[in-house]
Amino acid sequence: MAPTSTTSLPVLQPEPATPTPPEYGRRQFLADVMRLSGGALVFIAGGTVADALAAVAGKPRGEAYSWDEHLYAYLIDTSKCIGCGSCVRACAAENKVPDGFYRTWIERYVIGMEQTHVDSPNGGKDGFGPVQVGFTATKSFFVPKMCNHCRATPCVQVCPVGASYRTKDGVVMVDTERCIGCAYCVQACPFGSRFISPVTHTAEKCTWCYHRVTKGLKPACVEVCPTGTRQFGDLKREDDPVRLAIARDRVEVLQGHLLTEPQCYYLHLDKEVR
Amino acid sequence: MEHARHVFRVALVLGAVVAAVMVTRGFLVPKSYGMYGPYRYDNVVEQMNVRLPLHRGAAACGECHDDQAKKRAAGGHKNVSCEICHGPLGLHVKDDGSVEAPPVDRSYLLCARCHRKIDGRPARFPQVVLEQHVSGPLEGHACLGCHDPHSPKP
Repeated sequence: MAPTSTTSLPVLQPEPATPTPPEYGRRQFLADVMRLSGGALVFIAGGTVADALAAVAGKPRGEAYSWDEHLYAYLIDTSKCIGCGSCVRACAAENKVPDGFYRTWIERYVIGMEQTHVDSPNGGKDGFGPVQVGFTATKSFFVPKMCNHCRATPCVQVCPVGASYRTKDGVVMVDTERCIGCAYCVQACPFGSRFISPVTHTAEKCTWCYHRVTKGLKPACVEVCPTGTRQFGDLKREDDPVRLAIARDRVEVLQGHLLTEPQCYYLHLDKEVR
Repeated sequence: MEHARHVFRVALVLGAVVAAVMVTRGFLVPKSYGMYGPYRYDNVVEQMNVRLPLHRGAAACGECHDDQAKKRAAGGHKNVSCEICHGPLGLHVKDDGSVEAPPVDRSYLLCARCHRKIDGRPARFPQVVLEQHVSGPLEGHACLGCHDPHSPKP
């Protein structure tokens, strides 16, 4: 069957058997597909170009704060803690933490040769009272606890919706808008520092008072600590006391064997503390 | 020609599917998601501005209460933030400028939180065995009757 052609090309063909190119051939089609997909890509990418530019600048949009210039760390000297609970109260007030839940809390360890007693009444929020233990205690001390803002954090790894993340300045936070409240992160955290908020029904945790530290203030717990037990520092500042302490003193982290690289460092930690 | 039309149709359907996926994804995935990793970058800015800081520090308290601030800074409680006993400044002076009297616990419990002799406190920290310090029941005794919290003497 002879191919039909409506083009007005000269009918001069090398061989009569060769069909003339159809109106819309493969080449034309492929070319159009390339053009279309190119256009679609531009369309999709258009919205993110502005963001990408902001990303290159390394600055949250419209803010004077640059997270590239900071890397936060926390230092807790357990030998100084008096268990007054000011930090727990300040944290609850500053962050509107629901009653019965704690972003930070204090544990008391009363230790004898055979036995250890640990208590934390109301997270230490109302302070501590006298304690009766059924054994001869040889030492006792307080240990403030909180999110360790791990560098290799297990809670972020398990989040199925990308709600948990670690910022460039080293703070682990939860995006309440994305969180679906599945509580995988609550289970994954080896320090028990997350909980599901009874108000928002999403995961909640210590943010190192991100709304304060990005304004140059200390976290509320550090601000009120009367003994200097809690210190907040910036590892990118050469003369930072926390940086110097980590560099020079014998610091310890909680559950080091889990390799989560906690960024809360402890001084004078006891072997009984987990 | 027949074959070309078949191929064209399949390609059209495929193209439509790809376009639909890309457009839907554009709507469903938040704008700033994935800029630095698998999270919404806009949340970082949201967290920065989640609320105004409530605790403002002793210097801010001293702007109005100069005499108390000076007294405190010179005494044994110089490292004790005003907001430990008086609560956060942001609850005392509200954002709209209104002032509310801060609640202060005036019972012995306020001082006992730090200074009661209990297990756990470092030995060098000043502590009081309450039962030996006062006679009779603890309730009803106020340390503030004898001790000035802004410039305490042992």
